[in-house]
Amino acid sequence: MSEILRVGDAVPDFKLETFEPSKGDFGEISISTLKADKKWTILFFYPADFTFV
Amino acid sequence: MGAEVITISTDTKFVHLAWQRDEKLLEKVKYPMGSDPTGKISRMFGVYDENTGLDLRGTFIINPEGKLLNSEVNYYNMGRNIDELMRKFKANLHLAEHTNEGCPAKWKEEGDKTLAPSAKMVGKVYEALK
Repeated sequence: MSEILRVGDAVPDFKLETFEPSKGDFGEISISTLKADKKWTILFFYPADFTFV
Repeated sequence: MGAEVITISTDTKFVHLAWQRDEKLLEKVKYPMGSDPTGKISRMFGVYDENTGLDLRGTFIINPEGKLLNSEVNYYNMGRNIDELMRKFKANLHLAEHTNEGCPAKWKEEGDKTLAPSAKMVGKVYEALK
């Protein structure tokens, strides 16, 4: 995966490990699950924890 | 809001946990905090800074079919406007239901004027927007 996605592209499936504050627990999230659940997704990238976001 | 919001940085999930528990401002955060320590996902979206190992401030909206519809990337020193993000999100919802329309720059919410491009409108966008 070296190509950068552009608007209009299909997002390839990927998985992310997460911390889920609502559960106070670790989890995992994937595009395929979000698609299966028919969900809109907003990805919000930021530089680093313990800084101003 | 009707969308799954996932915040992502190159920190590990352990650091996410520590930060969320430590920082009072994050007490009420409920979004899953994604971890991309290898930068793989961040590179895919073009927000990974190879020099610092950090992510630029990128926001991406993906529809339920998995298609990338919006992309905004700001440099480190500029914050994002949540109103504009909400505007884009609401416009996407409207356009998903009304596939022959377009939301102009000043479209803010449901009920605002949209455009349906046609031969008649060529050269008459000013009048159509009135």
